[in-house]
Amino acid sequence: MDGDSSTTDASQLGIAGEYMASGHYVLQSQDDDGEESLNDHDDSGIKENFREQDIYLPIANVARIMKNAVPQTGKIAKDAKECVQECVSEFISFITSEASERCHQEKRKTINGEDILFAMSTLGFDMYVEPLKLYLQKFREAMKGEKGIPGVSVGEGLGDELTDDSFTNPLPAGIITADGQQQNVMVYTTSYQQIPTVQQIQFS
Amino acid sequence: MKMSQNTPDKDDQTSTNKKTISLPMSRVRLIMKSSPDVSSINQDALFLTTKATELFVQHLAVASFNGSGKETNTLSYSDLAQTAEEKETFHFLTDILPKKILARDYLQSLDQMQDDDADF
Repeated sequence: MDGDSSTTDASQLGIAGEYMASGHYVLQSQDDDGEESLNDHDDSGIKENFREQDIYLPIANVARIMKNAVPQTGKIAKDAKECVQECVSEFISFITSEASERCHQEKRKTINGEDILFAMSTLGFDMYVEPLKLYLQKFREAMKGEKGIPGVSVGEGLGDELTDDSFTNPLPAGIITADGQQQNVMVYTTSYQQIPTVQQIQFS
Repeated sequence: MKMSQNTPDKDDQTSTNKKTISLPMSRVRLIMKSSPDVSSINQDALFLTTKATELFVQHLAVASFNGSGKETNTLSYSDLAQTAEEKETFHFLTDILPKKILARDYLQSLDQMQDDDADF
């Protein structure tokens, strides 16, 4: 498959067809072999058989993040946005294959958080690791709030893959403490919550 | 960390805090799974990758925007290509960020190379 397929799935996946053809660019003594070898992957697990770099994150999201990162008066060229889209997929694949390798070395089948962090460290993204750990903590707490189960284990045993559903629904109004007594359970307020002993907080 | 039950959150902060990401995890997962030999990915790993990707976009954008001697206020493709070449962290991108040159110049350098060959 060389990225020319134009099924509806393809358009949903945000394939920037015009960008794929390297005929748009003249390569300055670039060796194309790097690109060719990516075609030889065993694409098991993907029914559409896309090359890994054919799948991109939505350009709107990517552009927004870029825009917020540069000074307010700054602009971003369209081809730069498309380009970063590709770079992003490359980055994800880069990290993933490193993490996957480590996983295999340790005879495990599921890539876990540690693998990812380790991969980042190894590949020169060490500076992300500490902030990421903090974000992960927040994420886990938000997840706990949703499930109402303290100490939900997200370890390897579950092998759960996350769907978007977990994030599109608002946090339920359910709470962790049930009988109004002070318990050793932390209630994290990230959205509207009903707490019997406390006045309801309306977030407008 | 907000531990207090009474701490209100602004609504737009709420949705950000709730997710703490602005990229679709399902798409990230798709990309991850297209790597060879990846069987499954746990929740943490998916979240970390997604969040890291966000950081990466910011990082790349800022590095490229600052990297060029800015008269224009625009981040262009060539800024990105330059950053990939100059910064070690972004070296892995050089294959997909070839510097663009004019066809005319390319053909010229082709001729040059052929001439050089002829010298042997």
